[in-house]
Amino acid sequence: MTAMLEVEKLEQKFDVSGGLLDRLSFSGGRILSPRRVVQAVNGVSFDVQQGEVLALVGESGCGKSTVAKTIARIHNPTGGTIRIDGQEVQGLSDRELLPVRSKMQMIFQDPYASLNPRQRVRDIVAEPLLEQTGNRAEARDKTEALLARVGLNAEHAGRYPHQFSGGQRQRIGIARALSVNPRLIIADEPVSALDVSIQAQILNLMMDLRDEFGLAYLFISHDLSVVHHIADRVAVMYLGFMVETAPRDTLFAMPRHPYTRALLSAAPTLDPAKKARQIELTGEVPSALSLPSGCCFRTRCPFAWDRCAAERPALRDTGDGQQVACHLIDEPERDKP
Amino acid sequence: MMTAFFASEFFANWRRNGSAIAGSVILVIFAVIVVFGPWLVWQDPYDVAGLDLMDSYKPPAWLPGGDPRFPLGTDGQGRDVLAAIIYGTRISVLIGVSAMICSLVIGTFVGLVAGYFRGRLDGLIMRIADIQLSFPSMLIALFLMSAFGTGIDKVLIALTAVGWVVYARTVRGQTLSESGREYVQAARVAGLRNAKIIRRHILPNVTTPLIVVATVQVGTFILIEASLSFLGVGVPITQPSLGLLIKNGFDVLFSGLWWVSVFPGLFIMALVFGINLFGDFLRDELNPRLK
Amino acid sequence: MKDMTETLLRVDDLRTHFHTFAGTVKAVDGVSFSLAKGEIMGLVGESGGGKSVVGFSILGLIDSPGRIESGQILFDGEDLAKASEDRMHKIRGKEIAMIFQDPMTSLNPLHPIGRQMDEMLRLHTDLDARGRRARCIRMLEDVGISQAEDRLDSYPHQFSGGMRQRVVIAIAMLAEPRLIVADEPTTALDVTIQAQILKLIRRQVREHGASMILVTHDLAVVAEMADHITVLYCGKVVERGPTRQVIDDPRHPYTAGLIASIPDPSDRKHRLDQIPGAVPDIRKLPRGCNFRDRCPRAQALCAEREPDLETQEPGRSAACHFPVEGGGT
Ligand SMILES: Nc1ncnc2c1ncn2[C@@H]1O[C@H](COP(=O)(O)OP(=O)(O)O)[C@@H](O)[C@H]1O
Ligand SMILES: Nc1ncnc2c1ncn2[C@@H]1O[C@H](COP(=O)(O)OP(=O)(O)O)[C@@H](O)[C@H]1O
Ligand code: SF4
Ligand code: SF4
Ligand SMILES: [Mg+2]
Ligand SMILES: [Mg+2]
Repeated sequence: MTAMLEVEKLEQKFDVSGGLLDRLSFSGGRILSPRRVVQAVNGVSFDVQQGEVLALVGESGCGKSTVAKTIARIHNPTGGTIRIDGQEVQGLSDRELLPVRSKMQMIFQDPYASLNPRQRVRDIVAEPLLEQTGNRAEARDKTEALLARVGLNAEHAGRYPHQFSGGQRQRIGIARALSVNPRLIIADEPVSALDVSIQAQILNLMMDLRDEFGLAYLFISHDLSVVHHIADRVAVMYLGFMVETAPRDTLFAMPRHPYTRALLSAAPTLDPAKKARQIELTGEVPSALSLPSGCCFRTRCPFAWDRCAAERPALRDTGDGQQVACHLIDEPERDKP
Repeated sequence: MMTAFFASEFFANWRRNGSAIAGSVILVIFAVIVVFGPWLVWQDPYDVAGLDLMDSYKPPAWLPGGDPRFPLGTDGQGRDVLAAIIYGTRISVLIGVSAMICSLVIGTFVGLVAGYFRGRLDGLIMRIADIQLSFPSMLIALFLMSAFGTGIDKVLIALTAVGWVVYARTVRGQTLSESGREYVQAARVAGLRNAKIIRRHILPNVTTPLIVVATVQVGTFILIEASLSFLGVGVPITQPSLGLLIKNGFDVLFSGLWWVSVFPGLFIMALVFGINLFGDFLRDELNPRLK
Repeated sequence: MKDMTETLLRVDDLRTHFHTFAGTVKAVDGVSFSLAKGEIMGLVGESGGGKSVVGFSILGLIDSPGRIESGQILFDGEDLAKASEDRMHKIRGKEIAMIFQDPMTSLNPLHPIGRQMDEMLRLHTDLDARGRRARCIRMLEDVGISQAEDRLDSYPHQFSGGMRQRVVIAIAMLAEPRLIVADEPTTALDVTIQAQILKLIRRQVREHGASMILVTHDLAVVAEMADHITVLYCGKVVERGPTRQVIDDPRHPYTAGLIASIPDPSDRKHRLDQIPGAVPDIRKLPRGCNFRDRCPRAQALCAEREPDLETQEPGRSAACHFPVEGGGT
């Protein structure tokens, strides 16, 4: 069985140095300041099986959205391969991508910014399908059915986005993604902007749709309780690197990477008494403009020693489907703060 | 549709805003003049056969020696000043509005392309715009007109060459921020090509701030055109705009025949004043930051 | 444990309304609560519930088209709802400090932070220049900013988001206010930074014996921080009580629904319990109970009469005709 999505050594760099005039400077003994490159994603590999939910977690700026948008080919990757249902897509032109887009769609984070304020709901939802088939009659019927399926009614089809609440807009975005019968949905923080009671509605809807249509999700979130609820497997990113992946229960019960452990102990819970052993972090995430040598996490890691600065740990299997990128795996005796 | 307008906050604010009302009234009067001009006057001022040199330099009707046929007096050829003003207003407004539309179309197109595709083309266009903005518009227009020679078409070209920049910059800025928004990314995921994304998604979302710019620009253009014509490099003598009327009367202004140029001047002032009053109101209403 | 009986702040039947073109928004409509000295109170609820407006009302920061229509805000016996703008100006910063979600709300981007801190001290203390400087440095060190002395000359944009929020907290604590209103202070921050900031806020509040109103939509944050919880829905208090009791044993169906809709890692269900529908438009509230369109317990009475906030047991109250039975969920 081919995986729905396979990503290998994915890299994404953004040159933010601007044009020649922006780089002109009179400091440091040179006329042009050096190029500034954001290393947003640095060789990330993972896969999503058919019907599986893989959650991608990490703090803001760690490259989650960039991974999502590169897979959805909103950005072109600067390195690595992306296979969707077995087909390599990284080099394809817009025209060649069109059939791929009927297998893969995306749900966005911001319920306000992700819908064109000047488009009616029916046109928003029908847009991907019309692009594929051009058949208006079919698109209209399908749109009606989809709106009903996500919990909106027919009279909503003629309205504009501003007439809806955040939760309803997110439903519209889900209907749009479903219009081409995709099998993979990339969901970039789909519930982060919603109130908890609405968040539960949307999560339930997404899980029902998964059961109904056999969808696979790449589900991005920074909220660990949401991830625990929805994911089959979890991948943790830090500063553009993948630091740990594991099946959900393994990751929550037995996190191995120091960053994963810190993340789990930092998340506030309704029942603070039941909290896991605390690893507290100090300091902040370094800039993606100049990555630290060696391990990406060493500037904040309570265990770091000289090997961590010299050598970048690779992501390695530790059994049971868990993979960890940390030198502690070799030297477990150092695992005391 | 109409009832929705009267129930809107826009209309409610307009009703409470004295200068907006004044501006609107002025604009409506001028709209009537422009649309119905030829039916409002009894004399075609540019049909030489209908003019009588015996009527030359008659003062306004209320002054001694005035003639009720010529409410605002006549010029040296016995032409009714009011009729000339009405015809001149049409030409001034026609030029201002057409040049605005040309600038709007060209500038918006350039701004969309620069803002959406960015890169070198964007850098080049914006440097041209920067350079152009470092000279006064009047100076550029004057320079172009002295190269082209007079004519309504040439005035239009000169004004458009001056006017596109402000739209290009506004639209580019808006496009930059809009094209980073998620609905544009969603359109890419839906499989739309760039041209369609620009047309269907970006264009409708960058136009609102242009309404204000366009309104005020009509006033600016009317003034620039008037200045050009006053300096003799604008419209030809056969199609006099308000500016040219002022120039024609200017030679005799100090010999006591003030009405020939003062009345066209007052009309220009009222017109631009009305446009600016209304433009200020639009700016306040359409600027989301003030809300 | 400090003496929690002495009341510092007492809000009584506060009504703050906004008169907009589209109608009157009764953002806060009859809110009452009291806050003891040294207490941290969580003010929670979904967005639009009126949490921020309560905070702004206390600080006298309601601008047109908004107005405090009625009610009292008794701060140490003085009614702030009737205080003059001059008086409020003296109270803000000195007696009551505010921390916002976006640190740039309280920082001036044009001045170095040292200058902003110094101004605060000059306004509210009579320390000399040297004393003020020492105090600023100590405060910055206290909130975990290293090389504090050098950082006095830095501008706000030279700090990261988390660091900026630390600076804001330092400024807020400078004049040793007796009450701190923190409006979603960590909502924009990442969990590891949030954990640091929450710990810092709690320590500062406890060490200085101040009281705090912690406004947030995140019940888990409140669970870790607050002594008492006040739940707002559509501008009204629907439930009030000690934190653990409210979370373990909510009485109002809205509170119960909110808690149930948060995924619980120790009790994973296939479907989450959800509250149906959405918060109603506050300009078109239903007759009777505001929550009735979404409430699983609603009965005929709920459509007729609005429930009052009634004491359920000592220290706990809920505004519901048919409250959830006690004894845990
Ligand atoms: N279009 C872009 N141009 C330049 N830098 C970008 C761009 N998109 C993202 N980045 C940078 O890449 C890094 C990762 O960002 P992002 O993927 O949005 O993180 P996340 O979604 O995990 O919060 C950040 O440092 C961000 O500033
Ligand atoms: N300046 C204002 N003008 C009009 N309505 C306002 C204003 N400020 C707040 N509101 C309204 O008051 C209600 C409560 O808002 P708020 O206190 O910000 O909610 P919360 O902080 O609980 O999310 C909302 O319905 C909001 O729309
Ligand atoms: S490799 Fe070293 S620095 Fe990196 S996470 Fe492991 S122990 Fe920490
Ligand atoms: S009063 Fe009725 S509708 Fe309101 S919360 Fe209680 S049971 Fe529900
Ligand atoms: Mg993101
Ligand atoms: Mg708020």
